[in-house]
Amino acid sequence: MKSFLKAMALILLSVSAAGCTIKTVGDPNRPITINANVVVDIRGLKQTANSIEDMVAKGGRDAEK
Amino acid sequence: MRKNKTLIWGFALFCLLAAVSSVSAASYGLKEVTPVINKAIVNRQGRYEILAGLKSQNNVGEDNRGYVKALGGGAQVEAVVAAENEDRRFIYENIAQQNNLGPEGLATIESVFAEVQREKAKPGESIQLPDGQWTKK
Repeated sequence: MKSFLKAMALILLSVSAAGCTIKTVGDPNRPITINANVVVDIRGLKQTANSIEDMVAKGGRDAEK
Repeated sequence: MRKNKTLIWGFALFCLLAAVSSVSAASYGLKEVTPVINKAIVNRQGRYEILAGLKSQNNVGEDNRGYVKALGGGAQVEAVVAAENEDRRFIYENIAQQNNLGPEGLATIESVFAEVQREKAKPGESIQLPDGQWTKK
């Protein structure tokens, strides 16, 4: 029973550490500014760019035929 | 011994959750080809051969922001370039919108498309490098 509780505590800790939400509480007259740097992973974008450009090229060549 | 086992399982679970959250955050792309995006793609297909000809004559080059630039040839070339860039901008902005990316995201999208255009450029065509210099591939 004790080990089960330990395991549950670890699971909850893992979930909260892996994807946590930041909640701020402060004085509305002195707002807090948070500068978030959003890093865009380009793998999906590059695949999208290649697909679109291939589609444009293929459609363009087919239209000429 | 039992305590160690629990700790190991906990750590493994943490690693798994961290990996899953990082993978799910990486799925940027075109989520839906709406009729207006399709129209922009069809427009681009329609001028593809004209643009390819202008590129081979070096009257048009691919810049480092994902757009084409007139390098010579006069008003007719300028008109083709303006129409092409309008459709490209429309596609980029829609990708940014569909992925809830702001102005910084749009700049990233533009630079990724620029990279793909540089890779797809044929030998002898004009391309702008990330540092701003123009060169022939």
